[in-house]
Amino acid sequence: MIQTFAFYLFAVLLIASAVLVITSRNPVHAVLWLIVAFFNGAGLMVLVGAEFIAALLVIVYVGAVAVLFLFVVMMLDIDFAELRAGFIRHFPLGVLIALVLLAEIVLGVGAYRAGALELGAAGVAAEPIAGRSNIDNIGALLYTRYLFLFESAGLILLVAMIGAIVLTHRERPGSHKTHQNIDRQVRRRPQDATVMTRPDVGQGVEL
Amino acid sequence: MVDLSQYLPILIFLGIALALSTAFVFLPMGVSQLTGTHNPTTEKLSEYECGFPAFEDPRSRFDVRFYLVAILFIVFDLEAAFLFPWAVSLDLTGWPGWITMMVFLFELVVGFVYAWKKGALEWE
Repeated sequence: MIQTFAFYLFAVLLIASAVLVITSRNPVHAVLWLIVAFFNGAGLMVLVGAEFIAALLVIVYVGAVAVLFLFVVMMLDIDFAELRAGFIRHFPLGVLIALVLLAEIVLGVGAYRAGALELGAAGVAAEPIAGRSNIDNIGALLYTRYLFLFESAGLILLVAMIGAIVLTHRERPGSHKTHQNIDRQVRRRPQDATVMTRPDVGQGVEL
Repeated sequence: MVDLSQYLPILIFLGIALALSTAFVFLPMGVSQLTGTHNPTTEKLSEYECGFPAFEDPRSRFDVRFYLVAILFIVFDLEAAFLFPWAVSLDLTGWPGWITMMVFLFELVVGFVYAWKKGALEWE
C-alpha cells in the first residue's frame, strides 16, 4: 500500500520535474529541476531495493554532476533568447534526434524483454547471492565478472581527467615554477651569499 | 518490493531537520518583525565603503579553473564511490577483486600524477 503510494508519488514527481527541465525558460531553473528529478529517481531506486544505486544518484549526480551543469550554465555567458531563435530551423534535426532516442529505447526494452542482457561476459544473468545486501551483490559481480567493463570505466575517467586538464589548464607566468624551493633554501650557506672583507681606507672593495 | 520500515528513522530525521531549519529561518524573521523598527532609507540600504554591491547579474563569467576543479572532483568522487562495494564484498571477490581494484586505482593515480605535475591542482 505505502509502496504503491510512494512509487506513484516519486514517478509523478519525476516525470513532472523532467518536463519542467525541458520547458523552463531559465536554464538555471532547468538544472534545479534536474536535481529534483535525480532525487525522485533515487527514491524509485530505493523502492526497487537498489539502495546503493540510490545513494550513488544522490552523491554523484546531485552532488557532482548537477554542480558541474550549474557551473557550465552560469559560466557560458550566452544570450539564451538568441539561442532559442532558430526553433523552426532546427526543428527537423531535433525531431531526428528524438526519433533516434525513441528507437534506442524501443530496442533496449525489446532486448530486455528478449532475455538476459549479456554485457561482454559468458553465461546467463547471475543469481543474487542469498542473504547479502545489494551492495555486496554489486561488488561480487563488478569486480570479478564485469572487471573488463570496470577497468574500461577507469580508463574513461582517466581520459576525462586528462582531457579536462589539456583543454582548460593554462600555464600562468610565475605559477608553480617560481615557488619556494625549500631544498635549495636549506642548502644555501652564508659563504655563498655574503663576503667578509676588511678594505683599507680609501681603497674601496673588490668583489 | 523491499521492506521500507527500516527507512522510518530517516523519515523522522528528515522531519526534525525540516522543522529545525524552518524554525531557524522564520523565527528570527518573525522576532525581528515584532521587535525591531523597520524604516529603511536609500543611504541605509546602500553598501558601505568597502562593501560589494549586493545585487548584480548572476550570469557573470567564471574562471574556467572552477570547471577544472569540478571535473577533477567528479572523477575522484566516482573513484571513491567504486571503493564502497569493493570494500564490503572483498570476502566474495577475494584476490581477483583486490587486483582489479588496484589496477583501477593505478589508472587513476596516473591521472592524478599528471594533474599534480601539470599544476592543475594549484590555484595560483
